[in-house]
Amino acid sequence: MSDLVLVIGTFAICYAVIFGYAAYLHMRYRRVKG
Amino acid sequence: MMRVRMLLGTAAVAVAFGMWLAFTSPTDDLQGEFSRILHIHAPVMWVAFLAFGVTALASIMWLVRKTARWDRLGEASAESGVLFTAIGLFTGMVWGQAVWGRAWDWGDARLASTAVMFFVYVGYLALRRATPDPEMKARRSAILGVVAVVQVPLVYFSVYLFRTLHQTPSIRPDGAAMPQEMLVALLVNFAAITYLFVALLVTRLQVAKAEADATTDSRLAGDAVKPPRLSEVKDV
Repeated sequence: MSDLVLVIGTFAICYAVIFGYAAYLHMRYRRVKG
Repeated sequence: MMRVRMLLGTAAVAVAFGMWLAFTSPTDDLQGEFSRILHIHAPVMWVAFLAFGVTALASIMWLVRKTARWDRLGEASAESGVLFTAIGLFTGMVWGQAVWGRAWDWGDARLASTAVMFFVYVGYLALRRATPDPEMKARRSAILGVVAVVQVPLVYFSVYLFRTLHQTPSIRPDGAAMPQEMLVALLVNFAAITYLFVALLVTRLQVAKAEADATTDSRLAGDAVKPPRLSEVKDV
């Protein structure tokens, strides 16, 4: 069970980083375009 | 930007579907739950190789054509490549700690060469910020983009050239060393994460284009709006 939690956590961190980067890019675009 | 939102939204759905398959497919007998990490580890490393390949191609195109959009493509792709390599290293370390009993080994050819590739492309991004001159920035990074891509085949074939800790690929031309259900889940994750890379690349290119246009606009405005000369200022 704890192994599965660790694996889910790893996936969650990875996709949070990737979609966080996408959100950051979106914010940069909005800042330029207004 | 609507198209970009659509791309990112559909990529999120594709990735969620891939994750669902990763968590419902059978696990490896020896690795247990940790074998599910390979459903993200292998696809992100493939995408990192693809991203650095795109950077090299864009760099060659810039050296031939000298147009800003090839330079922007090279930068956008390298940035995504660095992100995906970092995730590949992180997931590999989590998996290695659980299965090998150690997160990192500098003596392993695949691990060491991937780390070197990561730092070289971080250097590529740093080099781009070293000069404000767009022409010089594009030329320097295009040359590095072409040279640095040599590492991609080196990293890929390192497991054949040096038989150290990291295993050879499980999917080979002569077949896959895994059950059909696991293979389907892995291939779906390869497709979903590649699509996510394309969505991120398009988003990054839109940002780069918007920022370049804004810089040009401010330069043009800077020429048009001149401070008044002293002779033109009337006393009040």
